[in-house]
Amino acid sequence: MTKLRHLIWMVVAFAGLLLSASQSYAQQPDVGDQPGLLPDDSVELDPEYRKQMVYYRTSEAPGTIIISTAERHLYLVQGNGRALRYGIGVGRDGFQWQGLVNITRKAEWPDWTPPPEMIARQPYLPRFMAGGPGNPLGARAMYLGTTVYRIHGTNRPDTIGTKVSSGCFRLVNADVADLYDRVPVGTKVIIRQKPEL
Amino acid sequence: MRTFRGGLLVGLAVAVAVAAVAITYERYDTRTLKRTIRRGEVFCGVNAGLPGFSIPDDKGNWSGFDVDFCRAVASAIFDDPKAAKFIPLDASERFKELQNRKVDILSRNSTWSMSRETNYDLYFPAVAYYDGEGFMLPAARKIDSALDLNGSKICVQAETTTQLNLADYFRANNMKYQEMKFPKLEEVVKAYDSGQCDTFTADASQLYALRLNLSKPNDHIILPDIISKEPLAPVVRQRDDDWMMIVKWTLYAMINAEELGITSKNIDEALKSKKPEVMRLVGTEGSYGEDLGLTKDWAARIIRHVGNYGEVYERNVGAESKLKIPRGLNQLWSAGGIQYAPPIR
Repeated sequence: MTKLRHLIWMVVAFAGLLLSASQSYAQQPDVGDQPGLLPDDSVELDPEYRKQMVYYRTSEAPGTIIISTAERHLYLVQGNGRALRYGIGVGRDGFQWQGLVNITRKAEWPDWTPPPEMIARQPYLPRFMAGGPGNPLGARAMYLGTTVYRIHGTNRPDTIGTKVSSGCFRLVNADVADLYDRVPVGTKVIIRQKPEL
Repeated sequence: MRTFRGGLLVGLAVAVAVAAVAITYERYDTRTLKRTIRRGEVFCGVNAGLPGFSIPDDKGNWSGFDVDFCRAVASAIFDDPKAAKFIPLDASERFKELQNRKVDILSRNSTWSMSRETNYDLYFPAVAYYDGEGFMLPAARKIDSALDLNGSKICVQAETTTQLNLADYFRANNMKYQEMKFPKLEEVVKAYDSGQCDTFTADASQLYALRLNLSKPNDHIILPDIISKEPLAPVVRQRDDDWMMIVKWTLYAMINAEELGITSKNIDEALKSKKPEVMRLVGTEGSYGEDLGLTKDWAARIIRHVGNYGEVYERNVGAESKLKIPRGLNQLWSAGGIQYAPPIR
């Protein structure tokens, strides 16, 4: 008899678990953040979003980062009319911003403490998550000015080229590590937005 | 006798007058817009088949960057992108056929040069696409600048300006190279694909198209360097200013639309905008369309039916196409390129 009761409880518990899991899945307004998910390394970026040297005419000094939100590209100015271009994921509508900031801090495999306003919008997010492959910030983070925004890696390489974040700029881990080694703290970052109608 | 001489004189006078009118008509024909409107269709001279620029499908539907530009002109005039008829023309006959009024406009990957304007009595209103000679090479060579090509073995088509530009560029930069030349482009491609040379030079737009047919397209990159000037532009006849203005401002409307963030998807929103630059372009302020001999909403029609410059670029030759040519020089001046349109004001 105890055995049967045990079994019933287990079934109920399992059903509850399934229900809550599907519930929390349904609550996610987007697929941008999936803490704990390990990056799928087989994801191949669209050629447009692969790291490449491109023609880029600018009066900004070599070493400057220019982010074009509408194009989903991050340019690292090289001088001589060219730039190293990376594909990025950007903020969803309403979470895009523009301005001029500097990189104030750099971190490898950063911990993640989602800011309170993000927790308020997405209550299912963890309050803290240690750095590692399942962390949505990915392999590197570069902190932008005094804002809550970062240029960081990702555990969702399939979101490059889309607008899903809360305002951060994400690159695949290999690209963010490459960029990280090329730019020091103090690097000027220009974020450009599509013009308003 | 008297009457005979008189008749002769009158006949002569008539003949001279007719000849004068005919010559004036030939040289000063200013009626392309009127003829086009009467006909209800724009006649466009295009390339018979160039992927990304102008190519018909098996049902005879044309697509491409040059084709879309003609549709934009038709949209501005008739509010109908289908009011454009495409007439394929050979490279050798294209300028003559424009002069003979077989077409109203050439939108056929033609490089703008001074002698073409002066010798053929034609006019290139504005640059639609900045092309130029570039280099393709195996990604495994790990080179990302043309200045690192010293000592390369380069495949090139013989007897072309490409071959001459190549020589000039290497001499100017004090670099050496070994030339592998072939009379036909297909032979150049074959030689490169089979590894007979480690670099391939041709116009950049061509390199992207040719790369698709290599045995392993993803193993090859095209350098961002452009070493020659091949500005591709639409062409019209000289001394037909009303028509030339429409062709020129159609292109500039598309470039301005991109700069202002107006697309075929948000054009209705743009029509409600209170931003002065947007209002002038979409015709909710001023009489810019009427001044061209068109309607107020001329530019809104172009954007609605065909899209802005960036949309047309990405759809035909850019990220959404097979070619996937980066914007490069053809990016807006404000975003890293040199495409620049005078303001509408």
